[in-house]
Amino acid sequence: MPDLGRAALVTSFLLLVYALVAGSYAAWKGRRRLAESAQNALIASFGATAVAAAVLLGALARHDFSFQYVADHTSRELPLGYTLTAFWGGQEGSLLLWLLVLCGYSVAAVLTARRAGRDILAWVVPTLGLVGTFFAVLLVFVASPFATQAATADGAGLNPSLQNPYMAVHPPMLYLGYVGLTIPFAFAMGALLARRTDERWIVATRRWTLAAWAFLGFGQLLGAHWAYVEIGWGGYYAWDPVENAALMPWLAATAFLHSVMIQEKRGMLKVWNVLLVVLAFCLSLFGTFLTRSGIIQSIHSFTQSSIGPWFLGFICVITAGSLALVFARLPLLRAKTRLESLVSREATFLYNNLLLVALSLTILWGVVYPILSEAVTGEAASVSKPYYNFFLHSFGLPLLLLMGIGPLVAWRRASLRALGRTFLWPLTAAIAAGVALLAAGAGSSRVGVIAYTFSVFVLASIVLEFARGTSARKALGGVGWAGAFSSLIARNRRRYGGYVVHAAIVLLAIGVAGSSAYETVREARLQKGESMSVAGDRLVFRGYETALESNHRAIRALVDVYRGGEYLGRYKPGKNQYFAEDQVSNEVSIRHDWLTGGDLFLIADQVNSDGSIDLKALQKPLVNLIWLAGFVFLGGSLIALWPDAREERRLAERYAGATVRI
Amino acid sequence: MPGKRSPVRLIVALSVAAVLAVFLLYTSIAGGGTPSVRPSQLAGHKGRVSLMGQVVGEPAGDAHGAGLRFRLRDVKGSATIPVVYTGSVPDLFRKGRDVVVDGRLRNGVFMAVPNTLVTKCPSKYTPKR
Repeated sequence: MPDLGRAALVTSFLLLVYALVAGSYAAWKGRRRLAESAQNALIASFGATAVAAAVLLGALARHDFSFQYVADHTSRELPLGYTLTAFWGGQEGSLLLWLLVLCGYSVAAVLTARRAGRDILAWVVPTLGLVGTFFAVLLVFVASPFATQAATADGAGLNPSLQNPYMAVHPPMLYLGYVGLTIPFAFAMGALLARRTDERWIVATRRWTLAAWAFLGFGQLLGAHWAYVEIGWGGYYAWDPVENAALMPWLAATAFLHSVMIQEKRGMLKVWNVLLVVLAFCLSLFGTFLTRSGIIQSIHSFTQSSIGPWFLGFICVITAGSLALVFARLPLLRAKTRLESLVSREATFLYNNLLLVALSLTILWGVVYPILSEAVTGEAASVSKPYYNFFLHSFGLPLLLLMGIGPLVAWRRASLRALGRTFLWPLTAAIAAGVALLAAGAGSSRVGVIAYTFSVFVLASIVLEFARGTSARKALGGVGWAGAFSSLIARNRRRYGGYVVHAAIVLLAIGVAGSSAYETVREARLQKGESMSVAGDRLVFRGYETALESNHRAIRALVDVYRGGEYLGRYKPGKNQYFAEDQVSNEVSIRHDWLTGGDLFLIADQVNSDGSIDLKALQKPLVNLIWLAGFVFLGGSLIALWPDAREERRLAERYAGATVRI
Repeated sequence: MPGKRSPVRLIVALSVAAVLAVFLLYTSIAGGGTPSVRPSQLAGHKGRVSLMGQVVGEPAGDAHGAGLRFRLRDVKGSATIPVVYTGSVPDLFRKGRDVVVDGRLRNGVFMAVPNTLVTKCPSKYTPKR
């Protein structure tokens, strides 16, 4: 069986090399039949990679410990579900998943994005072939998932922190995001190589970019939730390099999603868009490099492996190659129109872009700071939370504000009087909210008040946009309010889906601000019967209970929670002692308050031999809005992604004849 | 429109200037990062550093009382330093684990900043070949 897997990978490698070499030659010389054959090779490589993946999956399911990968990452006791998700629990499997997803995306994008025009597509195929070849080289020559050994009786087992339902969805989501960014990159390069620098490559890949971006965003929120409920330190994001690795390309892709609208509408920012997509793709490669090379200290500490230099080399090649290409095509990338006013939709998009890129690059600076400082001063130094928080506040809060301003400002140029009229209500609402918050004592955190005031402003302007659109639609007649509302969204999915995503980001901002700026933390050592209080709740420690499970001993502290004399229930934070792994794991207990959106987060920090407990209690206001934001984000993305027959027809008319060339 | 510069350039130039200003502001207020050192490199560092090393000897004491006491050794080396730590102790913390902890050197003892102890994942899960 391992031979079949190896053969499938070699086949996939050869097909991808063919797609790269023959595809480039065909595109260069304009050989149509050869270009088609290169495209078929790309499509076939998906089949070959799928066979390889099936072989590995089969070996995992059969507990075939003659596969090194299976022996290293699973054991006989491991439940079937986790045995299968161990597919991406290790490095080789992760790379295989990457290649599989890449080939899948390639096939889907090449088959559906014919509108880009045959000449662009002819160059897209070799570009995708190049990226695929890189991963195939790694899988065939450097880190093969099909290395064999004399079969052992049992495997080493899976890291307990990966034995978790989140493991089944969080990594694949991130992969779908990371890898998906290859598609807009390949089309941008295709457009440059084919000298077709109009907005068609953007239109053709819009949904792919959006899908990759949505996966990446939702995957990160899943990871944050995983950290929050399972790791148990009371937080959800720690500015760890591996977390930042996913955030950076997401921010760059967010900038890209906005700036392409300007190119579509006004034919501006062509160079910028190409640079952004290169940045997003390189950051996604860099993210994989970070997680796989172990070059930077991270609490995630994956395998330290030999593929780091390969990635670094590939990132350099991609960066240098695409920058050279952009430079060579600069004359073709001149804008058709120019920015007319600093107060216009285009200008707010530009501000938003600069802030997003600035945020992304300052995070990058923080991530590589240890390497840079070691190279310069000979001693590694790292930046921590205050650094990141500072820039999140400096760039994130203006971004939040822009989210409320941008959608209401007219294209081209807006008069100040019109602006005053437009912003009257959102501004009034925001000021009223700010005053109310200060009166309610929220002034303890300046950043918190600013974030909330801006959030109210953005929400008010979103509501205003929906209300205005709905009433305009209703004025056309024939529909009621509900009908007008739904047809408004259906007719402008991209726009209103975007607003829903904005609302999700606002919820996220409120949740993050509430749970960090207004968090209360209390720690105390309690003897049985003693109590402590945290932000109005009284916690009484009632002693321990222990239970013997099949693979661990569970110790639980019994904590009764009272609020103003009312009994709210018994919560059981504790620890599990795993016998086989000889490891302790913290089991937190969380009381969700669905009415206020806040959580009471209980950690049994230390179980003492005299029967006392060191209890840590956190009140995290509004933290559940973060998870709610995830669902709203998903909903908004789906609205924007949903196929739109009307748009298709419009585009078909616009680009009629575009595919006849060559 | 000859002679008239595009506002795009103005925006970009101003924004880049603003970003740089914010960045400089930060570095001037907060200074650089925290140096990461091994126990053998600790001598001469007066300020806050983050110390990385391997736990040697059984940790003793009360992390929520007078302090948890243990020694850290260079991961590849022999220099060791005594550490006193208070605050939350990660699940994976124990003898033989690689940890990172922030603090300052005082009279030959590394006084850790509370709640900064971080354990690295044990290498048990990353088989070496």
